[in-house]
Amino acid sequence: MQPILEILSTGVGLSIQDAGRAGWRRFGVPVGGAMDRYSLAAANRLLGNRETAPALEIMLQGAKLKVLADTWLALAGADLGCGIEPWTAQRVSAGEVLTFPQARSGLFAYLAVPGGVVADHWFGSASVDARNGLGCVLRNGIRLSAMQSAPQVSTEGVSLRRLLVEDRRDFGREVTFELLRGPQYALFSESARDVLVASPWRVSARSDRTGFRLEGPTIEVPASIPSEPVLPGSFQIPGNGQPIVTMVDGPTVGGYAKLAVLRDADIDRLAQCAPGTQISFQWRD
Amino acid sequence: MSKITIMTSEIVILQLLRQSLDARMETGCHRRGLKADCQLYGECGILIQGLSDGARAAVEIAVQTAPPAGFLEWVHGYENMLLIFRAPKFVDAGGRWVAGLAEPAELARAQGRLVQVPVRYDGTDLAEVARLTDLSEAEVVAIHSAPEYRVRIMGFAPGFPYLDGLDPRLHLARRASPRDHIAPGTVAIGGGHAGIYSVASPGGWHLLGQTDLPLFRPALAKLAKPVSEAVFALEPGDRVKFIPQK
Repeated sequence: MQPILEILSTGVGLSIQDAGRAGWRRFGVPVGGAMDRYSLAAANRLLGNRETAPALEIMLQGAKLKVLADTWLALAGADLGCGIEPWTAQRVSAGEVLTFPQARSGLFAYLAVPGGVVADHWFGSASVDARNGLGCVLRNGIRLSAMQSAPQVSTEGVSLRRLLVEDRRDFGREVTFELLRGPQYALFSESARDVLVASPWRVSARSDRTGFRLEGPTIEVPASIPSEPVLPGSFQIPGNGQPIVTMVDGPTVGGYAKLAVLRDADIDRLAQCAPGTQISFQWRD
Repeated sequence: MSKITIMTSEIVILQLLRQSLDARMETGCHRRGLKADCQLYGECGILIQGLSDGARAAVEIAVQTAPPAGFLEWVHGYENMLLIFRAPKFVDAGGRWVAGLAEPAELARAQGRLVQVPVRYDGTDLAEVARLTDLSEAEVVAIHSAPEYRVRIMGFAPGFPYLDGLDPRLHLARRASPRDHIAPGTVAIGGGHAGIYSVASPGGWHLLGQTDLPLFRPALAKLAKPVSEAVFALEPGDRVKFIPQK
């Protein structure tokens, strides 16, 4: 298969991601996959791909890709200053170089190719989880192929290879989330529950694909619990009283009490909150 | 910059559904059979608390042989078990399904396979563990390799077993400063548990030795239909015996 993209630079973070590998969590395999599944699906829809087809996940600035053959590419999610407008697909020509020079809003952009990126699958998913040795880690010089040479007719919510404006997301610097009660909600004091919603939190620069750390006031912590299953979106409160929100590459079990849980669709939105973003919470009720 | 508040009318509906489900679940599991409590976790999870070993095995068999609609997968915790569904709409019926399961007879507990794990007891912390426990290194090895352990849960990393059955003389607090890199196959103890590191990772347990038995073979996960017994050396419920090697 003829390669269509060559990686000139991986920048801050470049990986292949799809909808992840559910079904293996009882053996300790995280579900993984795109941090923002909504944007992955949007990029794929722009080219008429399966919504879960493997695409490139580009974290923040610095990635540089050379187009090796005339094709179509679609971009969705974070605005990283690329020549392709986010939430649209464009025709690109051999020799063009795509750069992602500047994170303007959001954290993760998704670049889809016709049919999806060709890649080996581990547990049925091409998603890269480098920590656990799953997926093909991308390096400079690697050439990537697409499953198809031309895009399919684009699907729902797409007109002329542009996503309908109402389906596009804009990633602000101040975001509010509604919280569900976590499994150990009852173990936390009333003041601990209040602290979580009383004032805004900042997304820490020490966040990664396993978890987003939040900086703010200290939450009073109950004793640790026997290790139990952890779902993405869970607010684990370790000894320092600063929440860690488990993300898709996070461990499948853990022993910290979980005060709250995000709604599933909000995990995508939190994933786009770059370090420094102010986030606030309110209990659903 | 715009302020996004994420809230829709469907939340209200969900909330009503949840309240009715909560109420039913509180009594449901008790009334209908399985002696366990169900608790919603997130939008798609049901945590089953207070399971006997037999009941845990019964749920595990049931989800494999005749799963409820929309069932995705299950995860074991020390004292509970999580059922995960594909979408919130399946959770209500999933809770009723759990409630309808019968409590198994006391002796129905599954035995699990017995897996022998050869170990070279030359770990970085062997001397330190001997000092902390007032034992000789040979005694530490003898005590660690004596019991038949049981894989209680797996997690932390793919293929990492949390083993029950560690002799209380070897219960030690985790190291004050965790290590950044522990090699796969490292046999270790932490708190009341024994374990085996399955991928290169950081960790705070005390390192006693090394096994050549691969706990996780990612290459075999690349097959079209990976077989768990081939990819992982162990699974929850298995029994483990450490065999000291010269």
